[in-house]
This record gives sequence, structure tokens and C-alpha cells, in this order.
Amino acid sequence: MASASSSAPVLEHGVAPLRAGQGISFVLRRLHSLTGIIPVGAFLFEHILISNSTAIGQNGPSAYARQVSFLANLPLVFFLELFGIWIPIAYHALYGFYIWYRGEGNTVSYPWTGNWMYTLQRWTGAIAFIYIVWHTYTMRFTGIDLHDHPLASFGKVQGEVIHTPLFLFYVVGLVAASWHFAYGIWLFSAKWGIVSGDKAQKRLLRACLVFFLLLCGVGLASLYSFRSRPIADDDQNRAMIQSHEKPGGQATDRKGAQ
Amino acid sequence: MADKTVILKIKRQLTPNGKSYWEEFSVPYRPNMNVISALMDIAADPVTRDGKATTPITYDSNCLEEVCGSCAMLINGKARMACSALIDQLEQPIRLEPFSKFPVVRDLATDRSVIFENLKAVKAWVPIDGTYDLGAGPRMTAEDQEAAYPLSRCISCCCCMEACPQFNEDTGFVGAATISQVRLFNTHPTGKALQRERLAALMGDGGIQECGYAQNCVEVCPKDIPLTKSISEVGGQVMKQALGDMLRR
Repeated sequence: MASASSSAPVLEHGVAPLRAGQGISFVLRRLHSLTGIIPVGAFLFEHILISNSTAIGQNGPSAYARQVSFLANLPLVFFLELFGIWIPIAYHALYGFYIWYRGEGNTVSYPWTGNWMYTLQRWTGAIAFIYIVWHTYTMRFTGIDLHDHPLASFGKVQGEVIHTPLFLFYVVGLVAASWHFAYGIWLFSAKWGIVSGDKAQKRLLRACLVFFLLLCGVGLASLYSFRSRPIADDDQNRAMIQSHEKPGGQATDRKGAQ
Repeated sequence: MADKTVILKIKRQLTPNGKSYWEEFSVPYRPNMNVISALMDIAADPVTRDGKATTPITYDSNCLEEVCGSCAMLINGKARMACSALIDQLEQPIRLEPFSKFPVVRDLATDRSVIFENLKAVKAWVPIDGTYDLGAGPRMTAEDQEAAYPLSRCISCCCCMEACPQFNEDTGFVGAATISQVRLFNTHPTGKALQRERLAALMGDGGIQECGYAQNCVEVCPKDIPLTKSISEVGGQVMKQALGDMLRR
């Protein structure tokens, strides 16, 4: 910037022009977009529509236990969790916060639907993230280990959702995550050029809305099932666990809780 | 009717790095006024509403018919062209501010040269320079013409960029207008020659990936350019090239 300041004063601020050929933000941002669908979104799909749905109905507790047992016994389950769930979610969330930090929401000046959705996508992401961190902590890393004791699954979830505040937190987390994913599919399709036209985008938006309602509906039905069934008390749990285990595998060990 | 007036609150700034301040003006109402004609009235008699003599308002304008792109400013908080902002359709007092994301030159005049830099970065032109006559170019189908014409109406006013939540100093986002011009020139049978370079440029920092699809651009565009469709179309072209290069280069 060695220009002479004789005529016009040098304007030092303002948005920088495009840096063609520079940086890797393109790859990072598209990776953020992709991880939202696969594997994070795909996992949400599995979690709500396949796993949680087994908890609905008369055979809820045993069907749910079978499903948890199936998942817990997948080969290399730790690595599946690590590379299929934890790292992608952490990347999607942290890069997402970075995206949020750099954007300047302006719904006050431009209160239009798309702009509200832009802001909502950030808030639902944050709410879902807080919920997921808590949910993973309580379900996966504290209390009875469900990988070792899948039969205790129904009771463990029930132990949380019978408390109304926690139940409401589940509902908020469910709605936020479902919306974030459903609208995320729409955003993904729009940004990657899969669905570009006005009419086609409107049609897809309607489909995403239906998908959102489906996720919420099944999620709520399973939550209701956890909440409405007679409480599986600890003794009952223990009995179920012990009847399925070899001697030595003590079910009473509550790792790390309290 | 005679004493009906128009009240304007104008954000002023005397120098590029000076402090901004507000001044209020009252001009006599006439039928069919627009913001530019109100600013002309102020220039003819630069006195604030409380009787203080001041300087005329500095603003860019040229064609007065929404085709030159000069007179873009914030009118009641929204990015739009002053020439097509009719006083009858505006809530009073009418707030006029310079664009918030571009350096102020003075008052309502801002330096929007960044869009020119962006258009150069994506080579938004049809390459026909050479040492001999290239002859007539290939024909464009009527369908392509119909898709391209709306894109060619861009007046580089920068409204789409001002209204975009992603266009700011942190992201250095290129903005919808430039992306739409990439689509226009990639549609052109001769302009296509530079498609690879254009798409590669849009993968740089501040490129198309910064779009958050808030869709304000398409709402504020005074020329009704299908900007979000352009972003999606070019987004697809960029992805195709990126993935293709990953496998074939």
C-alpha cells in the first residue's frame, strides 16, 4: 500500500475481495456440510427412526434391549463410535460454531423467512449440541454401562425421562436436532447444486418438513413410551441383567455415577 | 396539500474515517417524489429541519431509472436503490444511511469497488481478444438465452452483498452478484472457455462456500435476478469440478 495519498484518501477497511486460489476453507466448509448429512444425520436417522422406535409399544423394553444389544455388539464398536459419531459430530459442531461466529445475523433489518431459517439453523444447532453433550455424558459415560448391560437400557432412559424437567429437555433436544437435520438436508441440496430451481426447492422444503414431523413424531412416541410404562425399578433391572449374564459379570457396578 | 412535507433523517459523515452523525431535513411534498428528488431538494436549500445551514448531501446517482446501480443505500434500514424508492411508499421519517459494509466516502456515497475486484477475480467476461478476427461465435439456444438474460441485468449495485449475513470483514465473502455472473459467463458459448478458472477462483477463501443460504440476496435484488438459483447452479458446477479433479488430476 505505497500509493501516494495526494488525490483520494486510502480506504483501509471494508470487505476483502475474493482470494482466488488461496486457502482451504472450501474443503473445510464442504466437509462441514457433508458430515451433517453423513454420518451425523444418518446416525440421527438410525437413532430415532430405527433404535428409539423399538421402545414404542407393548414389547418396548425387550425390543429396545435387543436393539441396544445389537448395536453394542457391532464389530469394532468403539471405532465405529469414534470415527462414525464422535469425531464427525465434534467437527460439525465446532466448525459450526466458527461459522456462526463469523456470520452477522440481520433478521432485524431483513425479517424474511429464509433469513430467519438461517438464524434458526444456528440456534437449533447450538441447542442440539448442548443436548447431545449432556445426553452422551449421562447415557454413555456415566451410570450403568449399556454396552455391557443392554437389558438395563430401557430402565436407564426411563430413569431420566420420568423427571419432567429432563423429559422436557429431551423434547427440546429432539425438536432442535430434528429441525437442524431436516432443514440441513434442504440446505445441503441447495448449496451442492442438487436442487436448484425455485419450484424444486419449494417441493423439497415440503418434503423436509414432513421428514421433520416424522422424526419428531417417532421421537415423541418413544419418549412417551419410556415415560408411560411402569417404572422398571433397580431390582427388576438387576434381575433381568443377571439372568442374562455369566456369573462374575456383576450388574450392580454403577461406574462413575454419583 | 401545500404544506405537506417529507421528513428525512440522514446519516452523514464528512470524511472516510470521520465520525458519523444524523441530520434531519424537511422538504415540501410533491406527487411522485423519490428519494433522489428529495435529496435534490435538500441540495437546492441545504438547511436542516431546525433551521441550521449545512452542506448538501453527498450521494452517488446517475441514470435515475434503476439501471446504473449507483444510488444504492440503506433506506429505512434496507438495501435498495434510491431512484426507485418512491416517497409515497415509504414510512416517515425516512431514514437514509450509507451501506454499512462498504467504506464510506462521504455521507451516502460508499466505495463499492470490491465488486469490481471480485468480477475480475472470476474473469467475468467473454474472452475474444486476439491478434486476428475470430469470426462469429457459436449460436446460443433460445432456452439458454432466456436463462442468461435475467442474469445479464445485474447492475453491480451491491444490494445483495449488503443484505447478506455472510458478507462481512470476517468472511470476505464474494457475494451473490459475482457468483451469478459466473453462471452467466459459464452459460455463454464462448465465455465457457474460462469456466474452469472461474470455478477454481470461487473455491478460494471467501468463495461460494461462505454462502449460508439466508436468501436475502434474492429478496433485495432490485433487478429480480434469480440469485439463489445461480448460487445453487454454480455450487453444483463447483462441486462437480472439485470432485472431478480429485479423481482425475
